[in-house]
Amino acid sequence: MEGYPEGYEEEIDLVEEIDLLTNNDDYAGVDEDLDEDDQMQLLILQQQYAQEIPEVVKNFIIYFHRNILENNVYELHGIYENSFNRLTEKFYAKTPWPEADYIAPLVNDDQVFLTLYRELYYRHIYSKLTPTIEHRFHSYENYCDLFNFILNSEGPVSLELPNQWLWDIIDEFIYQFQSFCNYRSRLKNKTEEEIALLRDNIQVWSCYSVLNVLYSLITKSRITEQLLVSKHGGDMIEAAGEYGSRTLYKMLGYFSIIGLLRVHCLLGDYTLALKMMDNIELSKKALFARVTACHVTTYYYVGFAYMMMRRYADAIKAFSHILVFIARTKMYHTRSYQFDQINKKGDQMYALLTICIALCPTRLDENIHPHLREKYGEHLIKMQRGEEGLQTFEDLFLYACPKFISPNGPNFEDPNALTQTIEPHHHHAKIFLSEVRHQILIPTLRSYLKLYTTMGIDKLSAFLDIDAETLRTQLLIVKQKSRQQKWTSGTLLEGEYVTTSDLDFCLKQDMIHIAESKVGRRYGDWFLRHINKFQDIIAGMDLRN
Amino acid sequence: MSNNKSLLTPSPLNPTFRPDVIQSLIDGVDRYNPDNVSILEEYLSTQLQNEEYDLMANLAILKLYQFNPHLVNDVVISNILVKALTAIPNPDFNLCLYLLQEGSLSDDNVSKLILLQQLLEEARYQEFWEVYEKDDTYKDLSMEAVGFDTAIRKVILTAICMAYQTISVDLLRTYLNYPKGDTKFETFIQSQGLTTKDDVIIINTNYDNEAKPTVIRENIKFEQLTKVIGYSNEL
Repeated sequence: MEGYPEGYEEEIDLVEEIDLLTNNDDYAGVDEDLDEDDQMQLLILQQQYAQEIPEVVKNFIIYFHRNILENNVYELHGIYENSFNRLTEKFYAKTPWPEADYIAPLVNDDQVFLTLYRELYYRHIYSKLTPTIEHRFHSYENYCDLFNFILNSEGPVSLELPNQWLWDIIDEFIYQFQSFCNYRSRLKNKTEEEIALLRDNIQVWSCYSVLNVLYSLITKSRITEQLLVSKHGGDMIEAAGEYGSRTLYKMLGYFSIIGLLRVHCLLGDYTLALKMMDNIELSKKALFARVTACHVTTYYYVGFAYMMMRRYADAIKAFSHILVFIARTKMYHTRSYQFDQINKKGDQMYALLTICIALCPTRLDENIHPHLREKYGEHLIKMQRGEEGLQTFEDLFLYACPKFISPNGPNFEDPNALTQTIEPHHHHAKIFLSEVRHQILIPTLRSYLKLYTTMGIDKLSAFLDIDAETLRTQLLIVKQKSRQQKWTSGTLLEGEYVTTSDLDFCLKQDMIHIAESKVGRRYGDWFLRHINKFQDIIAGMDLRN
Repeated sequence: MSNNKSLLTPSPLNPTFRPDVIQSLIDGVDRYNPDNVSILEEYLSTQLQNEEYDLMANLAILKLYQFNPHLVNDVVISNILVKALTAIPNPDFNLCLYLLQEGSLSDDNVSKLILLQQLLEEARYQEFWEVYEKDDTYKDLSMEAVGFDTAIRKVILTAICMAYQTISVDLLRTYLNYPKGDTKFETFIQSQGLTTKDDVIIINTNYDNEAKPTVIRENIKFEQLTKVIGYSNEL
């Protein structure tokens, strides 16, 4: 916290009682078109309110503003990740931050700063309070202002922000879009006024406007060109151009690609979602790994898209990778303000991983297997018990799937729409579960096949208490489902069909011939890890000497 | 038949017959422009006539429908789904369904096609043909897709070739829906490279029907050892 006004910590404790003063909702929802009287009123309110803003918050805002002007990314990092959240806990746990108009005098009415401030202001309302329809509209307008400033100023803007914040801007923009779509889909308990507002403003938070922002950021930053150069070589400066060579544009462009991955998943377009990633390689060195939240988001949506495309082996790989990462870095992000969110996503991914494992039995990394067994072991057993397991599949799916959106909202002309709620997740769950239903009997059949090397159709159908033709059908399903498209090289969408099961068989007329492939013990991995551990111990002892 | 590749192939991401116009359209932001829907719909008609199939382009149509409900053309949706049936066991059919509006799964034609999909995915081939032939709607739905019956027969035959090394002629004939004595059956299986001996059809071994027990051994790559080799320097 170098450079922060001294005594800041103590000051917070001293002004604790001011907390009460800010519990005051009078300033919420200032109208836009004000006549002169109202203007005067506002000015008086502004002055009154300015006095109510705790001194420490005022200082913080002034300090924040100065660092924005100076593009001091290092300080901004601390302000953004620590100070803002600490002050929130102290003063604004249950109320919004002061409205931008009230703090305007503190920052010389700096419009750019106020737009950035509002970004935080609305984000705080979304995360800690319940946004009203006005908040939703104004936040959208504020994002429009922010992106207009970035995209349509004369030449590139000189603003610099920490990567974390840039990611959060894109992430929050999409979150609020998704939140708005769900809000709009439920007309049931809305007032006439709210419904009228929604009907008259269909361009607000529309799919096209959101996609437009993300694609514009990608084009402006020339991020695709930059990624191609970093992959195949070439002149980076030329590829990046005037805008793309600035971190702000480059990172916003990059995060917009991940943003599109997410938006397309929310819309159920899984191929297009993965196609967005054409120029991004999934590796630890990729840019997305610089911001943990982005890293986690990327793998969650890549894994989810693979799962919905029946590519369970690829999904398992994606989920395992990021869950191992989360498990290994746990101690680092416990302090992060996003700890809870990352944990929640992690837990959802364990649920998705369980679904995938049930559909495509696979050995898991030993860093995550115990946790999965502890958390979802019982689910997994249920899921392999045929028909009765379907409910468990559905429960886990609905718990762990993204919050799907219905892009168009209700038809306001249709009187029935007022009482109906559009629930896109049921649409997706239904299709996914029909897929699961096809293969729900496979585990039972597999467990029998494992016991034999040859077996007559008649005999096995007698064991299973089904007729011979049904058994043939089941065997064909087992065969089809044991082949999956799996990535080997190239873009994420590419892949070839390979065997993903350790159990295989063939039929010679009425006789089943069964073959099981066994995995030899993996010594290498074990030894390597222990050699590393041992080396660390030795290094530790050396240090002490 | 090569033994190291599965008989299954994913729907190509960039089929060779795809015209440049379509390629640039679906690669860029033009894919969101509602004015382009007719170009893509015409391309679908070409696919239907020429027995070609381009999943990515068809998904682009459904995407435009998703954003612009006033453009939706039910016949086009049915045609896309009919084509997707011929790509089973690829996930194409479901990928299309995910893009449809909530509630449209219960539309008459869509739910009829979903029934066909279920029967094919669950390898209930005999039932598939019964359902398909009993209801005239299906003939109408698949009318525009030239060679639909043959394409479905190929889907079924692939599934059989993956599982069987030998299969009785009668059983395969039932799966493929040829009446007894129909010479087209002989012609079809010969065109697919299968031979008949007595009453049994012989399918050469391939990647999928081989079923050979194997032991997967771990494969340690040099890169994994670099750190360990590095330690030896410190000694």
